[in-house]
Amino acid sequence: MYQYTEFDRSFIEERVNHYREQTTRYLNGQLSEDEFLQLRLRNGLYLQRLAPMLRVAIPYGTLSSQQLFALGKVAREYDRGYGHLSTRQNMQFNWPELAEVPDILADMAKVDLHAIQTSGSCIRNVTTDHFAGAAADETIDPRPYCEIIRQWSTNHPEFEWLPRKFKIAVTGAAEDRAAIGVHDVGLRVYRDDKGDVQFDVYAGGGLGRTPVLGALVRSELPIEHLLTYLEALMRVYNRYGRRDNKYKARIKILVRAMGVDGFRAKVDEEWAHSKGGPGTLPEAEITRVEAFFAPPGYSQQPEVGDALAEHRLANPKFSQWLQHNVTEHKAPGYAAVTLSTKATGVPPGDVSDTQIDAVAQWAADYSFSEVRISHEQNFVLPHVPKQHLFELWQKAQAQNLATANARLITDMICCPGGDYCSLANAKSIPVAEALQERFDDYDFQYDLGELNLNISGCMNACGHHHVGHIGILGVDKKGSEFYQISLGGHAGHSELAPSLGQIVGPSIPRAEVCDVIAKILEIYVDLRLEDESFLGCFKRVGIAPFKERVYAPSH
Amino acid sequence: MHHLINKQNDEWQLVSQEDSEQQKIEWQDAESWQPGQALRLPVDAELDPQWGQASVIGIDFPALTDGRGLSLAVLLRTRLNYSGDLRGLGAVHEDILHFMVRCGFSSFELPESRDPNVALNCIAPHKQYYQSSVVDPLNHFDRV
Ligand code: HEM
Ligand code: SF4
Repeated sequence: MYQYTEFDRSFIEERVNHYREQTTRYLNGQLSEDEFLQLRLRNGLYLQRLAPMLRVAIPYGTLSSQQLFALGKVAREYDRGYGHLSTRQNMQFNWPELAEVPDILADMAKVDLHAIQTSGSCIRNVTTDHFAGAAADETIDPRPYCEIIRQWSTNHPEFEWLPRKFKIAVTGAAEDRAAIGVHDVGLRVYRDDKGDVQFDVYAGGGLGRTPVLGALVRSELPIEHLLTYLEALMRVYNRYGRRDNKYKARIKILVRAMGVDGFRAKVDEEWAHSKGGPGTLPEAEITRVEAFFAPPGYSQQPEVGDALAEHRLANPKFSQWLQHNVTEHKAPGYAAVTLSTKATGVPPGDVSDTQIDAVAQWAADYSFSEVRISHEQNFVLPHVPKQHLFELWQKAQAQNLATANARLITDMICCPGGDYCSLANAKSIPVAEALQERFDDYDFQYDLGELNLNISGCMNACGHHHVGHIGILGVDKKGSEFYQISLGGHAGHSELAPSLGQIVGPSIPRAEVCDVIAKILEIYVDLRLEDESFLGCFKRVGIAPFKERVYAPSH
Repeated sequence: MHHLINKQNDEWQLVSQEDSEQQKIEWQDAESWQPGQALRLPVDAELDPQWGQASVIGIDFPALTDGRGLSLAVLLRTRLNYSGDLRGLGAVHEDILHFMVRCGFSSFELPESRDPNVALNCIAPHKQYYQSSVVDPLNHFDRV
């Protein structure tokens, strides 16, 4: 992974000092609430009525074991023994004391972590495939380009005060696990016939109130022009994005207003002036950054097929876990392991300090000291020798991190909802818990196959309900909590183009959610062809049979 | 009144109220401006090639969160190659100065309510930066 240079290190130290000084000025009354709001947001600090929160940047979801230990310490010393894995691969802590935040940041800076640009109207922490560098279906490792973008976007003088937040995601694999279609800018990186690195650039995707899929604005962009092109695109957004209405300020609205062709032409016109200019990436810089992401020192691994088969026979749960939570790796004898945080009864993404420490230790013992956070809010150990899988599984079991449900219905994405968030229309965690309990049975889940269920407590869509195969959205109906169900959304986790969910019918009270979901699953099981996934089936039959039958009076 | 901050012998400094009053500028809006005069632009101005001939250009920030003036400054410096004084006006805030400097601003009218010493203190919080900029167009990758 990337190693900080002296420069990176002194930069974040200077940033901590500056923020400390801003905090002092605020506490002395030299900065108003509104002024300080803008400054603290750009350092990841939200002050919600119900739960103040500090969001730590995990650049493209990659951490070292040492960094994760440091986060465990933050959970213990400053939070109430918990951390929360976010859908943007970051880690969040609740209840930090405002005056203590500079100390937390200083502690984190010691292990090369920070909270820069994790909120506010600026370029946010760049995200990518959580299996980057490990996945068997990868054409190119996206992390070096994420790192280049991280550096370029950190305190960019021109783009720190955008109309609205700006999210960039990068993927380099056949299956898009970074959901580039629902980002302000999505980048697909690949090699051309000559082996040169290129990008297809999508712009204007996003969820929230107006969900939109990004449009292709430039294909075959050579790597050396990546930053000048992004700069031209950002400049067009910075100058012309709406600032009069925050609900219309995302780039998706600008792209829609200008038309994709109009937007593309404007960016090209801007780019014509800077292409080949000072921001052009020299070969030496590209190679320098790529070198940090060279494969770790894989070694020849023993053949373990028989041993694993024996363990599988003796331990059905291990067998289930192997099937769902262990992913094919590029390197022979290795696997990528998903440690699910979605055990029944635990809010999705919540991890205790003991769990954090345990994962950090396993990363050191089994995975070249590397850990990832996935946007499904799970931990991933990217490079585990297959010979250690059984041992790891036993340890993970003891920490309640071995639920065999990766990508199954109980591996839900869920926002904090009405329990913590003052914007919520409805609670979401109790809905997730009720569903987890209802569908806990492994055989039932397994029979359903791959199924993403996403829950948001309001239309801000933090839980990505639009791109859940099944989406649940909390709505307010005359002051009480109701839920709207949509079907057929997906973020690109397959070779299908991403799509947004369609609403299946009128919203329902919480007490009915489990029954309605059960009904939907029943209809799917009834309609599916052999081995057809929920999404595949939905794509084939459409919303109509669900609409007809979900709300039909039962006999 | 406001506090005028500019650069003297490569050092950022607070101009005394007296000097600042003596140097009082007759700003013209784009519609009435003539070459050789001081030009005040709103953040959403579209470039006019003639502006290169202004005696000084001011960009009027409506709010500290409005980054359009930063892009406009970059365009004046790089597209028009304007090399005269470029001044931040309006909602200039001490914590935005370092971004403004790197987008090509060379002086600031800090609102009277702000503390100019704090502003001078946080005008350059970092020794080096991650990206090339108008004031440091050398390839930033030379850093490493
Ligand atoms: C308690 C607190 C929270 C509040 C008040 C809150 C508020 C919001 C708001 C207002 C938006 C809409 C932004 C827009 O219109 O573009 C948003 C988006 C989002 N939030 Fe949250 N949020 C909270 C917690 C979280 C958590 C814990 C997560 C992660 C698990 C999260 C993940 C997201 C994501 C991924 C989006 C982006 C959706 C998009 O791309 O449009 N939020 N949030
Ligand atoms: S989706 Fe709504 S309820 Fe859920 S966290 Fe976001 S703002 Fe809060």
